[in-house]
Amino acid sequence: MTEENSRTADVASGASTREHALARTFVVLADTLVADYDVVELLDQLVEACVSVLGVTAAGLLLDDQKGNLALVASSSEETRLLEIFQLQNNEGPCLDCVRSGAAVASDDLEADRDRWPTFVPEALAAGFRSVSAVPLRLRDETIGGLNMFSDAASALAGEDRELAQALADVATIGILQQRSAHRTSVLAEQLQHALNSRVVIEQAKGVIAERDQVSMEIAFATLRKHARDHNLKLGDVAAAVVRRSTDPGGVPPLSS
Amino acid sequence: MIDRDQWMRLLRDAAGEVASQPQRIAELCVQVLGVDGAGISLVSDTGHRGVVCATDDVSRRIEDLQITLGEGPCMDTVRTGAPVLVADLLDRDDIAAWRWQTFIAAAADEGVRAVFALPLRIGAINVGALDMYRSRPGALDDGELSAALLAAEAAAVALLWLNTSSDGAWADGADGSDTGVGYQAQVHQATGMIMVQLGVTIEQAFLLLRARAFSTSRPLQDVAVDVVERRLRFSPEDP
Repeated sequence: MTEENSRTADVASGASTREHALARTFVVLADTLVADYDVVELLDQLVEACVSVLGVTAAGLLLDDQKGNLALVASSSEETRLLEIFQLQNNEGPCLDCVRSGAAVASDDLEADRDRWPTFVPEALAAGFRSVSAVPLRLRDETIGGLNMFSDAASALAGEDRELAQALADVATIGILQQRSAHRTSVLAEQLQHALNSRVVIEQAKGVIAERDQVSMEIAFATLRKHARDHNLKLGDVAAAVVRRSTDPGGVPPLSS
Repeated sequence: MIDRDQWMRLLRDAAGEVASQPQRIAELCVQVLGVDGAGISLVSDTGHRGVVCATDDVSRRIEDLQITLGEGPCMDTVRTGAPVLVADLLDRDDIAAWRWQTFIAAAADEGVRAVFALPLRIGAINVGALDMYRSRPGALDDGELSAALLAAEAAAVALLWLNTSSDGAWADGADGSDTGVGYQAQVHQATGMIMVQLGVTIEQAFLLLRARAFSTSRPLQDVAVDVVERRLRFSPEDP
């Protein structure tokens, strides 16, 4: 049994469980795509699926901001350190290499790749990660971003797992491009900007809740997401409402109720 | 083909005296994006609308016209947050244009055939719109639209300063050194936190954050991280 196979076996005890989870994930994603959906929420579901189906420790999605930078638009955890590791790849790292080359990039053992990414590797190791994978978000001959996955095990995604990761990345691409199909004229740059701006609204709302409730950004995000799910609202709409209503902090209804 | 880096440099160089930044951005759009005129309109929190600048009389009149009529691409782009791009106002098949019968008739009288309106926003902050027109029908190509989106981002920041610094309190901070705020999470998180700390609007919170960065000669991102890490708190007693 190869290392890769044993890893896959570890991830899901039994192929049927895994296949079931996988099928459910794609059904949920397909359901989302046919409805009027919130792009950040979709991307959020996608990175969660990476963790639950592919068994990686953390996943994040970075998009080309059209100004030569990569911006994080979804992350499986809002933990500050993780966000920083995603974001520092603006300068150096597997996700940047992946976006530049348009091809998947992986490191089975970060320890052995210190020379390859001298700034990125120590940060990733310090956060407890041992391997990393990145697959591109491709649109025809253009690469619009990357899906970046970390694992605390010393083996990157390979074989079928990597193909699945690429399939999830392709769903993300479709999700970003489809979001504004109601508009006659939709251009990639606008769709990317819209996705990133949606993320900015969420960051603003996280700040409001973190300060109001004196909680971490991670809990603030969980509060937002729970409220959206409990009330069947779009994440972006809830975030925008928090930012707008909070002009009078005394008048903000407690979100968690 | 518009070179992205060169365009970003041009937008950055448009900085200077705060009051004339929007005008310079609009003029750059005319010079580089192949449009015949450009204008920028402001929409305040309270829904107040006003024309900030226009590169020519036609642009100014179509901006005024939309504000008077309460309809048109500028109104739609502000409301929906999505660009409104009409390559030919007289194309009866263009669904977008059906809604603005009065505007279209008046715009046609001015010799306007194509209109492009982009929202000026930073997250939930909605500042106004960048409007452009062509006297002949024709869509913006992908490169032109990409460049226009970057211009809109630069204009959003320029306009925020202009809108909120009328009392001069923050005008000193308006160095205009950046063409946009980018997508650094902490900047936006800090903005939300400051809003609650001071009981101000998101627009004011954003400006206060930038002003603090400027007055202490520190990068915006660094000040934002201090706020997020709760090492720095904004207080109403601050100067």
